[in-house]
Amino acid sequence: MTVMTQGRAERLIDANLLEALTVPARQGDYPRESRAFVRIDTSLRIYWHTLFDICPGLLELSSPDGLSIFRPFMAWAADEGLSLNWTYYLWVDVWLRRSPFAGRVTPELRLSLIGASAARWATGDRSEAGGIVLSGLDAADLVCGWKARSIDAGRQIERIELEDPLPAAPEPFGFFTVPGGELDGGFPGWTPIPR
Amino acid sequence: MKIGFNFTLGETLPLVRSLLASGRIDYVELLIDNFLAIPEEELAAGFDVPVGFHIMFSKFIENDAVALDSLASRLRRLIDRMSPLYVSDHVARFTHDGRQLYHLAEIDYAADYGRVRERVDWWQQRLGRRLFLENYPSILDGGHDAPAFFERLCRDTGCGVLFDASNAVCAHLNCGVPLEAWDGIIDAASHFHTAGYNLSILQPHLVLDTHDRALSDATMAFLESRRERFDTPGATMTYERDDNFDELDIASDLDRLRALFADDAVAPPVERAAP
Repeated sequence: MTVMTQGRAERLIDANLLEALTVPARQGDYPRESRAFVRIDTSLRIYWHTLFDICPGLLELSSPDGLSIFRPFMAWAADEGLSLNWTYYLWVDVWLRRSPFAGRVTPELRLSLIGASAARWATGDRSEAGGIVLSGLDAADLVCGWKARSIDAGRQIERIELEDPLPAAPEPFGFFTVPGGELDGGFPGWTPIPR
Repeated sequence: MKIGFNFTLGETLPLVRSLLASGRIDYVELLIDNFLAIPEEELAAGFDVPVGFHIMFSKFIENDAVALDSLASRLRRLIDRMSPLYVSDHVARFTHDGRQLYHLAEIDYAADYGRVRERVDWWQQRLGRRLFLENYPSILDGGHDAPAFFERLCRDTGCGVLFDASNAVCAHLNCGVPLEAWDGIIDAASHFHTAGYNLSILQPHLVLDTHDRALSDATMAFLESRRERFDTPGATMTYERDDNFDELDIASDLDRLRALFADDAVAPPVERAAP
């Protein structure tokens, strides 16, 4: 095995790169052949795969490498101070609807993004809540994410169309959480999604 | 040496059960915070072998006390009920300036020591258990500070290290941290991890802890060179796989580990793993 320390000019630690790990434009601050450049690339690729592997329909809008969506979205997310938490996909939807791609964003693509955020909540949330309900395409449309309730099952994503619509959710999306694994506790009111 | 396998997702349950049935593993490591919505009774009855608890997303260095208190109370109930072999967590940066890092970052071991020490003390108290903290697969030069950091942290807080052997190999390959720098940590540790790693897409290649392929020759050489340091009474070695769940491939690695740590295996002389 070869130890990869050749050509290192000065001590560089992860903490030196924190500002760049989520911002594609900052990658250009470092030489293409440097370890810093590759370290930042490694970080950015996770955001790319988290988006396009889960919602491959986005690649039909963009260039095949997805960069015409990914780079401007990540730049906007940095400007807006978005946390890139479970709402990552919801903010991509918000950005898309304001972007040059707006006219090509289908309801199916939007639902895939909403469902992806519900799934990310269901796998990553560590609170006592058992499920999340997100506002969907309209007031009668809900997307629910349920945490795994059995060791042989994963999280579940469910779309519900209500006969009696809930009050309108705040823009761009609203959510509420439920304690158990069913939507039977009434409507506690919408909370705007976090940034 | 007890050999174990990590269980992170429901869909891998048949694989875990198959590895248990074939006798390839002795225990199951649960990525415990993935399973907190499962009824306690079901989780406790899920396996008739010992379990380890590996906490992934407590973010105990960064998270707020209210969220951590809630998490700790649920973990304590499971700890009391299931008596895991160990409870482990991570020393890493999960966020920066309020933004989530999807590829976790290494802390600044010098600048962050005081904060980490305080939080380890606090988190151990909340969990009611000695905590074992995993070493990061260092990419950049900060990795050189890791062995001394963990030795100091263990001295000051009473915590232990969940020593990830392949993470140490990643750090060695990426930034030249000598493998022997970890010998004191290995001697004091009882719980270990190992997994496959891969190279970055771009060059100059970085070695990334991907958990998606077989153990490298370098990792096996490291384990072989220190077999007697690793294999002490009560020791555990968890083989981690988070992608590419090829059962034959996984079984082959587990068999290699089983053969290495077999009671009648001939220990090779202790020497530095060949680069």
